[in-house]
Amino acid sequence: MSWTYIQGILMLAGINMIAVLGLSLLTGFTGLFSFGHAGFMAIGAYVGAWISASPASTPAGLGLPFILAIVGGGAAAGIVSYFIGRISLNLKGDYFCIATLGFGEAIRLIFNNVNRFGGARGWPGVPGRSTFLVILIADVIAILFLANLVKSRHGRNMIAVREEELAAQIAGINVFRYKMISLIISAVYAGVAGVFFAHYMTFIQPKMFSLTKSTELTIIVIFGGLGSISGSVLGALVLTALPELLRAFEIWRLVFYGAAVILIMVSRPKGLMGGMELTPSGIRKVLAERNALREAKTKLLADAQSGEED
Amino acid sequence: MVQFLQQLINGLSIGSVYALMAVGYSLVYSIMNFSNFAHGGVIMLGAYFGFFSLTLLKLPFVVAFLLASVGTLAVAIIVERIAYKPLRERKAPFLYFIISAMGASILLENIVIATIGPTFRTYPEVFSKVPITLGPLAIGRLDLIIFAISAVCLTLLILFIEKTKIGKAIQAASYNVKACALMGVNTDRVILTVFGLGGFLAGVAGVFFGMKYTVYPQIGNITTKSFIAAVFGGLGSLPGAVLGSVILGTIETFVAGYLSSQFRDLIAFVILIAVLVLRPTGIMGKVTEDKA
Amino acid sequence: MKKLLFAALAIALVLAGCSSGGKSDVIKVGWLGALTGDQAVWGENELNTVKMLFEEYNAAGGIDVGGKKYKLEVIGYDNKGDPQEAVNVTKRLTGQDKVVAIIGPNSSGNAIPMAPILEKAKVPDIATVATNPKVTVQDGKVKPYNFRVCFIDPYQGAVAAGFAYDRLGARTAALLYDVGDDYSQGLREFFKLNFEKKGGKIVADESFNSGDVDFRPQLSKIKAANPDVIFMPYFFKEVALSANQARDLGIKQVLMGGDGWPSDQLISMGGKAVEGSYFVNHLDYADPAVQDFKTRYKAKYGKETELNGFLAHDAVLLLVEGLKKAGKVNGEALAKAFEGIDVQGITGRIHISPETHNPEGKDAAIIKIVDGQYVFQEKYAAQ
Repeated sequence: MSWTYIQGILMLAGINMIAVLGLSLLTGFTGLFSFGHAGFMAIGAYVGAWISASPASTPAGLGLPFILAIVGGGAAAGIVSYFIGRISLNLKGDYFCIATLGFGEAIRLIFNNVNRFGGARGWPGVPGRSTFLVILIADVIAILFLANLVKSRHGRNMIAVREEELAAQIAGINVFRYKMISLIISAVYAGVAGVFFAHYMTFIQPKMFSLTKSTELTIIVIFGGLGSISGSVLGALVLTALPELLRAFEIWRLVFYGAAVILIMVSRPKGLMGGMELTPSGIRKVLAERNALREAKTKLLADAQSGEED
Repeated sequence: MVQFLQQLINGLSIGSVYALMAVGYSLVYSIMNFSNFAHGGVIMLGAYFGFFSLTLLKLPFVVAFLLASVGTLAVAIIVERIAYKPLRERKAPFLYFIISAMGASILLENIVIATIGPTFRTYPEVFSKVPITLGPLAIGRLDLIIFAISAVCLTLLILFIEKTKIGKAIQAASYNVKACALMGVNTDRVILTVFGLGGFLAGVAGVFFGMKYTVYPQIGNITTKSFIAAVFGGLGSLPGAVLGSVILGTIETFVAGYLSSQFRDLIAFVILIAVLVLRPTGIMGKVTEDKA
Repeated sequence: MKKLLFAALAIALVLAGCSSGGKSDVIKVGWLGALTGDQAVWGENELNTVKMLFEEYNAAGGIDVGGKKYKLEVIGYDNKGDPQEAVNVTKRLTGQDKVVAIIGPNSSGNAIPMAPILEKAKVPDIATVATNPKVTVQDGKVKPYNFRVCFIDPYQGAVAAGFAYDRLGARTAALLYDVGDDYSQGLREFFKLNFEKKGGKIVADESFNSGDVDFRPQLSKIKAANPDVIFMPYFFKEVALSANQARDLGIKQVLMGGDGWPSDQLISMGGKAVEGSYFVNHLDYADPAVQDFKTRYKAKYGKETELNGFLAHDAVLLLVEGLKKAGKVNGEALAKAFEGIDVQGITGRIHISPETHNPEGKDAAIIKIVDGQYVFQEKYAAQ
């Protein structure tokens, strides 16, 4: 296997991973379901491209360093998400989800009509600054930040909101505030992922950030397992690579992809890693549970046998 | 004035297509409390079933129409058995159902691409395509037929739900599935019936969509609009789904006709969000808060 | 269940592994395009064409490069019409399959992000119908490894506008275009620019969104604006639907379009609605030069070729001539050989300009739909 090819897929998986981690906070830890995160990616991608593209190219950019593009893209997505959250966070279940779908599509439609950014014809000539190393570092930072957040008091409050919104409210947790924090962080993650995506592809077009992209991200989160950071990491790696692995099936590959999604939902309804973490303590916990289960089984069997003997 | 009336006709016609699709969504939602995204895929299959019944089997229209609807009824039930039943048995949260539904929708679309091919197909002319003209206004014959059939299907559906025993069970289950099961109702049968009805309606929608526009594997995508319409009207409410569809179709048309076609969908989304902010459960939606 | 999934993945990996590694007397050529998704019709047609032509070359003993006979092998991958997958596929073709050149894709949005990868791997690409100027030239600089065999949007837009104004005598025009599609937005922009430059007036400028099927709201507005001609720069499915709906609304004006129109399906779906319409095309279907290819394709695949087949044909022709000129199987040498090459293709003379990597001076053909047939009107070059 060629390294350029594998590296390319790993980079894409790494970029998806950032967006998925953010979405994992929103969906997996706070219990809100979004269909519009591709919109935040689009904002990040376009703002990032604008900051770093050369002033001499068309569409023209500011020609500033990549780090500013990352910060700017993430911040822009975060700011937009604040206003979206103000409007939509009080909606419940599918209604929130349709509102995010509306916002996501709206953002894409706006970019289609903004000729300054190339409209539907896209923005070629974004500098190719997303290197393997930079993405790797960003992933590590993203994971560490999220892991610490989830373990903190704020993280526990978010989980409380997910589990029992009403009870959390009664217990004195400001539900709206925690939903908002969760939404903004997830949007910043998506925005940063968008910046990396733009600088990986070197070309962006509004149709790259369609509803399909949003659902793809959500599928990865659920596939990996709700409430599990390592699940999101694994999910991003597996599901980004899956269509490539299935290439040998040619036109059948998306059939297999769809089947795989159903299969994992049906056979592992908690996703790959639902509620579990791939940390030393997490693994020990699972092993301990397994052992306990096996012991209980052997004991039951032994009891049954001794019962028969009687 | 002529322009206004013509746009009104256009809007109602677009809305009635959305309505046919949205009712299926809402029906399943009323029992299962999740948006069945596989519905679009089933509608697409309905369009293909109808097309092949007419062209390959050379069946008369009514037979082809029924065959397509029965075919999608079967598909909807198969999808339920494979993709949702195991989740139901594990009492999985609604997110898992949605993802499973998305998997099913990807699967259905791509099975068609792999087996039948990606080409577009045109229905043979069953009803005359020449529109009825009233002075400068044009009304499609097919639009009128779709309007009538939608009305008939909906009336039958409402009668079925109101008058039959299983219909009463559906009504009860839509209030509270668990309590219903405790009262001795076979909820599995209720759910199968609901998916069957939804599937049948998907067939009806698919055949008419195919006749009005064309048949291709990505038809399912257009159902995003009908999903929006269903939310607009209030998920779980059948009259709401129809109302939401008609309103959405008309709004879209008037925005394109009088404001800007570039921003048509954008404005439609803004209005949608405004409605949701003012009425968080849509126009006629059932309240699901205490069931989460 | 899980085991099944893993088994499937394992098989996929093994199969993927098998495809690499070949003999030295075979020239491996990559192809990418959409085999799934809404552009699959064109992708399938292109890949079929490339496969057929390669088989024909091989049956005739292969091609002669630098005094040695080589067989041709195509490695084709699906990209769903998705730029992200186009990047993956390009990396796979250049990195893993080690192809010497790539044919495709058919969409500009997919061709543009390939450039840096091609440059790094030194593998040239011949795009088939990617008409955005930025596929080969960005900010005034030519991309060293991107080539194409078709004319570009500004040219096509100028031809359409010129023909409408000068030949059809239209002074007012209405536009309907797909706002979410790069091809449609590009063509609309250049039509508008050229039509207004000539002194014409755009009386309605309406759009729809990719995937829409109902255009009556926009068409009703266009009807009220009463233009001389309606320009519809998008693909045949939407063309057929919108043409039908336009006629239903009582719109009698002449319809015009670009190279997204030609297809058998346009006639079967559009029927009477598209009668008398004009469009800009890459070739004349009645041209004796294309008949042979048309019959060969039909004989092999049992259906008519789409427009893409003709351009894929010429891409293969350009590739083979380029290899002969280069005299060795090497991507870098091949890219050099393409510059300035002059090949007579079935869609016209392909003279690749070293400055733009476009086929310079390729005439456009104006086609009129008469009695359900594509009738050639004239070769038309924009000034």
